[in-house]
Amino acid sequence: MSGSLKVRVQRYRPEEDDAPWWQSFEVPWSEDTSVLDALNHIKDVEDGSLSYRWSCRMAICGSCGVMVNDEPRLGCKTFLRHYADADEIVLRPLENLAVERDLVSDIDPMLAHIETVQPWLQREQAEAPEAGETLQTPVQMARYESFSHCINCGLCYAACPQFGRNPDFLGPAALTLAQRYNLDSRDEGREARMPFLNGEDGVWACTFVGYCSDVCPKDVDPAAAINQGKVASNVNYAVNLFRLLRGGDDA
Amino acid sequence: MRKPLPPRQDALWWWRHPAYRRYMLREATALPLFLYALCLLYGVRELGRGETAFQAWLAFMESPPLIALQAVALLAVLWHAWTWFQLVPKILVIPTRHGTLPGHWLRLAHVVPAALCWLLLPLLAWWALGQFAGGGA
Amino acid sequence: MTRSLPRRSQEPVAWSLFGAGGMLLAFLGPALVLITLLVLPALLADDVAAGHAAVLAALRHPLGALLAFAGLSLTFFHTLHRLCHGLHDLHVPLSARLVGWVGYGTATLLSLLAGVWLLGL
Ligand code: SF4
Ligand code: FES
Repeated sequence: MSGSLKVRVQRYRPEEDDAPWWQSFEVPWSEDTSVLDALNHIKDVEDGSLSYRWSCRMAICGSCGVMVNDEPRLGCKTFLRHYADADEIVLRPLENLAVERDLVSDIDPMLAHIETVQPWLQREQAEAPEAGETLQTPVQMARYESFSHCINCGLCYAACPQFGRNPDFLGPAALTLAQRYNLDSRDEGREARMPFLNGEDGVWACTFVGYCSDVCPKDVDPAAAINQGKVASNVNYAVNLFRLLRGGDDA
Repeated sequence: MRKPLPPRQDALWWWRHPAYRRYMLREATALPLFLYALCLLYGVRELGRGETAFQAWLAFMESPPLIALQAVALLAVLWHAWTWFQLVPKILVIPTRHGTLPGHWLRLAHVVPAALCWLLLPLLAWWALGQFAGGGA
Repeated sequence: MTRSLPRRSQEPVAWSLFGAGGMLLAFLGPALVLITLLVLPALLADDVAAGHAAVLAALRHPLGALLAFAGLSLTFFHTLHRLCHGLHDLHVPLSARLVGWVGYGTATLLSLLAGVWLLGL
């Protein structure tokens, strides 16, 4: 299997351009040519000014996300052979994020949202290393494991129309990470995270479009995590209501 | 020099991808179902106003536009049910001794009883009303 | 890093009613539409009086009344929830708060009507 394919790339150079424009290249491909390989070919052979992100070229660093024919995909995990029958492949920077240059998106909003939910193991009391490991059974681990496979690639943010509609929405990956730590038997940070899930820009801005889970390259299923988060937030709401009715403080 | 292009979602975003169109179709099922529920609410009122009013309501429900609405409502509620049961396993997590109940089991546990309801309840209603009408005559 | 805590959303109330309505519709909706579409007209074609009495009896029974009320009310909350979010999705330039008040207010009002009319049967 081999051939050559027209690759149309959206260009934007902030120094010279006021609006994005399109540039086409003819790229030779064989069985194992990825979209990232195609971009590297273009940069090496055709036009050295093209900018895009990548590092690991094995679907683990999460930096090579682009829109391939209007679908968010990892460049290194998407192969030209799948598009052999198409007239061309069209590469754009990720949807719903600002474009810095060519295919490079500004992922800061996503990173800020991820930081908001405090996705790290929290313990009420710091433990000395001598105290030993905090043990966890395989069944306890299975409760969150798939949610921990996220590589922060942002494809789900490009897939999420609610994030596009409201950039303050914490979004799929952040809410998934919140759920991942809330479900971890070793974690004690749930109380710190719940207010962010409970807020208007937390789980409740999600309308279960579900496309995030379709595009996730790691099968994390963020839509499932968010909607399980809704159940948790619902319980939290009811408990708070009960507390209020008994004359307690709003939390 | 930074001069980022801000993202902008246009009002027609939902038309641009099949996944979004499917989502919108799912959400749109609410419109015929809302109108249908209004008709039923109206029917409850007419039922209480006596036989003639009830008969007029039935005639109203059998007028072509209302038949069309009910046909659309039937399709809508079936699409709603189908998509709803697809999503159930994503929300409902039932722990078992070895992990959690697999999604396809959960889905089956909803779809099978639901399909029975869809088939048996109309038959049951048919039978019960027939019984009543027969006994009352 | 300190960050002010966001205001708690009231969505859980709406979502619970939406979810209950969605589940009820998924299980009973198709049967209900089939009944009004096929069963009622066919049966009532020959004996309206008996049919009227039958439906009246069914809805006067506490269980029937409760089911009818839940069915109607939850359907209103379910559908109006989706329609409100739909307006936001379609970029209709109305404030979410206004849409919420009108939408869920309508559902509440229609539920009250259903309750009053069912009790009056
Ligand atoms: S949830 Fe999936 S799509 Fe989203 S950032 Fe993580 S790995 Fe990427
Ligand atoms: S280059 Fe690292 S994920 Fe593609």
